[in-house]
Amino acid sequence: MENSTRIKFPARWSEPLDPDMDARAVDGLLKVAPFTAMNPESFSESMPLSGILKNDSRLQQLEKGDIIVREGDYGGSAFLIVSGEALVSTRSLPPEVLGRGNKERKGWGRAIAQLWRNSNQTEARDYSKTKTPNQDTGTGLRDHSSGTHVFLHDIPRVIPPEHSITLGEGEIFGEISALTRSARSATVVANSKMVVLEIRWQGFRELMLRNEAMGQHIEKRYRENSLQAHLRETEIFRDLPDDVIRKLADRTIFQTFGNYQWSHKFKSTLKKDISQRILNEPLIAEQGDYVDGLVLIRNGFARLSRKHGEGHQTIAYLGKGDTFGFREVVHNWATGQQRPWMLSLRSLGFVDVLKIPVTVLEELVLPQLRESSFPAPLPDLAGDGKARNRRLTPRAKSMEPGLMEFLVENRFINGTQAMMIDLDRCTRCDDCVRACASTHDNNPRFVRHGPVHDHWMIANACMHCLDPVCMIGCPTGAIGRDRETGNVAINDTTCIGCSTCANNCPYHNIQMVQVNDNRGNPIRDSETSLPVIKATKCDLCLEQPFGPACQRACPHDALVRIDISSPDDVMEWTEK
Amino acid sequence: MKFLSQMNRLSRRRLRNVTLTVASIAMLAAIVMWMDRSLLHSSFLTGYVLIGSLFLLAAFGMRKRLPMIAGIGSASFWMQMHIYVGLGSFAVFAMHIAFRVPDGMLESILALLYLVVFFSGIYGIWATRSIPRKLTSVGEEVIFERIPAFKRHLARRAQTIVMESCESTPVLANFYVNRLSKFFECRRGLGYMLIPTGRKRRHLIAEIEELDRFLAQEDRRVSRELAIMVRKKDDLDYHTAMQGRLKLWLFVHIAITWSLLIFSVVHGLLAHAYGGGLA
Ligand code: SF4
Ligand code: SF4
Repeated sequence: MENSTRIKFPARWSEPLDPDMDARAVDGLLKVAPFTAMNPESFSESMPLSGILKNDSRLQQLEKGDIIVREGDYGGSAFLIVSGEALVSTRSLPPEVLGRGNKERKGWGRAIAQLWRNSNQTEARDYSKTKTPNQDTGTGLRDHSSGTHVFLHDIPRVIPPEHSITLGEGEIFGEISALTRSARSATVVANSKMVVLEIRWQGFRELMLRNEAMGQHIEKRYRENSLQAHLRETEIFRDLPDDVIRKLADRTIFQTFGNYQWSHKFKSTLKKDISQRILNEPLIAEQGDYVDGLVLIRNGFARLSRKHGEGHQTIAYLGKGDTFGFREVVHNWATGQQRPWMLSLRSLGFVDVLKIPVTVLEELVLPQLRESSFPAPLPDLAGDGKARNRRLTPRAKSMEPGLMEFLVENRFINGTQAMMIDLDRCTRCDDCVRACASTHDNNPRFVRHGPVHDHWMIANACMHCLDPVCMIGCPTGAIGRDRETGNVAINDTTCIGCSTCANNCPYHNIQMVQVNDNRGNPIRDSETSLPVIKATKCDLCLEQPFGPACQRACPHDALVRIDISSPDDVMEWTEK
Repeated sequence: MKFLSQMNRLSRRRLRNVTLTVASIAMLAAIVMWMDRSLLHSSFLTGYVLIGSLFLLAAFGMRKRLPMIAGIGSASFWMQMHIYVGLGSFAVFAMHIAFRVPDGMLESILALLYLVVFFSGIYGIWATRSIPRKLTSVGEEVIFERIPAFKRHLARRAQTIVMESCESTPVLANFYVNRLSKFFECRRGLGYMLIPTGRKRRHLIAEIEELDRFLAQEDRRVSRELAIMVRKKDDLDYHTAMQGRLKLWLFVHIAITWSLLIFSVVHGLLAHAYGGGLA
């Protein structure tokens, strides 16, 4: 602990994961594997091992049956088993066990019945017939010092031994989804009294960097599993044989840029001047620099920009699965020239990229490609600047630049079902709001208001994001993606009203409401007598037979639910 | 067909709907001509088509009330149908009255009601296309039901800043009492609601600017804020007038439609009773 007096305090440590983590707990941890094998000297002075354990981790005491991570959840932490054992379910568990809703589409009869069944009280609920944890689902809720946990009453019934893998002391889980910011791929349950160390992503990455054995072990797991799958899904590598994909995966470099918790900061950064904001974004590749590889976006978003006068103009945005630099790489290889990056690529919030060096591409990929799949050669650098710029623009070339900046700056590019309203067509009749209300027991789940650019409004309705930050940290799994549609929905029954999701949503699209009975009296907690609070938001009419009522209710074609992460969709709509 | 692929989605839809409507009218006209030549009662045919169209047009209102069964078509589809059936109904109406001014009392009332509904519909098409653009150009978006609260807030704020400033000089306070309080606290007159203009706003802002030379530096800041608030209040009034106009128009259009439907049914029954159609 001597070192800690001299450290340059990392900004993220101003908010430790667990303020109660004390020196005694850290000392205890330093005496168990794998920390005993770690050399404190290999850590930097500004981020010593003890500092990481103190600020980036927390100890969770668990009872047998407690669910530690749920399949489909998002989270920025990995877990290390300090004592006890856990079970990983190798098959998907039913949504009700995971605390999720299992909303079924209503038939015509039930849909019409809403006409007279809708309550005339706001946020009315009837819990008399709903299954709460403990009933039928085989789950219950219990409080620990680390928060509320859902637990399984009868583990073997829910996770039979033949469908489980046992993890013991010193083993790590949940690291891939934490590092790649993707959904958890399996559910893990405590199979005995356990002590688990939760390590947040930043600290975990540091441990991997400083401890070679741990880093290599995790990397190997990742390269063997998700990385090969990701490469196979990439258009450019689609036709490559398996052994080439394997070799490519071995030589791919991982890089991350930006702030993992971008959602907390981005509203305040909006106040800054746009040129300054762009310049502050971490550079992944800079226009004019030497082309050293192909960039694949694994997670998050990146801004493609071009120098324009003294500033940078946004040309497009890239998201998961997009690539950058292939045109330059192929051009240089085919012509023997050394042309630099034509555009800059910057991280928007947090972005996780894979880089395949030019030498690897030249050796493994380019000779195998058919000439027909080559991108168009780069334009002649001499030549009329305007025409050149046009040809350089990779896609979304005709999206109005102001609209592009607006969607990027407000991070609406995260929305796969954003509500976009054409104010030049919208008569402000509110038929959309009324339709939403009548399909949600008379409670509209959005506000026809929101940021506007020119005549385009992005209304305050849940956008069902690609990177659903609202799903990080829900203690009961009440908020999650619907299995069939991928929409983000809240299970009203298992929501405990903690507001984690509402506070996480950077777009303010989740409301916390007090629920009432059918006479309008507040429903109260039987133990504390406090009014019950629930999180509510647009569920994209998951239960309705014909999809989003708002869109189908607009008589003037003014409202659309749209995937803004796809510039082509936006252009098709705006140029209607 | 190259020009078709170059058109955007909405233009293609318009072309398709216009073609369909014109074709349907032409077909009906041909049948009517044939019936007339064959000395058959074409007025019963056109009457049924017309009353059927009216019910279809009115059914749009029911569709709006049933968003949960959107399977009967999106509101946008119904709106298109409403517009083109409505436009087409005029030709049917003309055929039905045989291009003559009706003479009976009931027929005259009916024809008048139809014309009012039809032309209010035409006005509706124009208003729902043009008013949104005007509202958008105001800049600030505001929900109709919340306008009164915003206005109250503005009025209170204006009064507060003027009262705070009147310790140094009464100029602003006097101006507020004489010129601004009514503007902030009262509704705009009928003239403005019918044809909202920026004249009042321009006058008031010019007057505020003229006051500047009588004000201390600190009070000029207040007068500038007042000018901004005058603009905001005027924008809210504009929203009230324009959004209110759209709501009022819809109310009137629907109310007359129902009277028309009732009269049409009575007319149909009478026509059958006395014209022998049912026999
Ligand atoms: S408020 Fe949000 S985070 Fe908390 S339990 Fe409910 S859904 Fe989960
Ligand atoms: S239904 Fe359409 S026109 Fe009416 S308020 Fe909603 S978006 Fe605007």
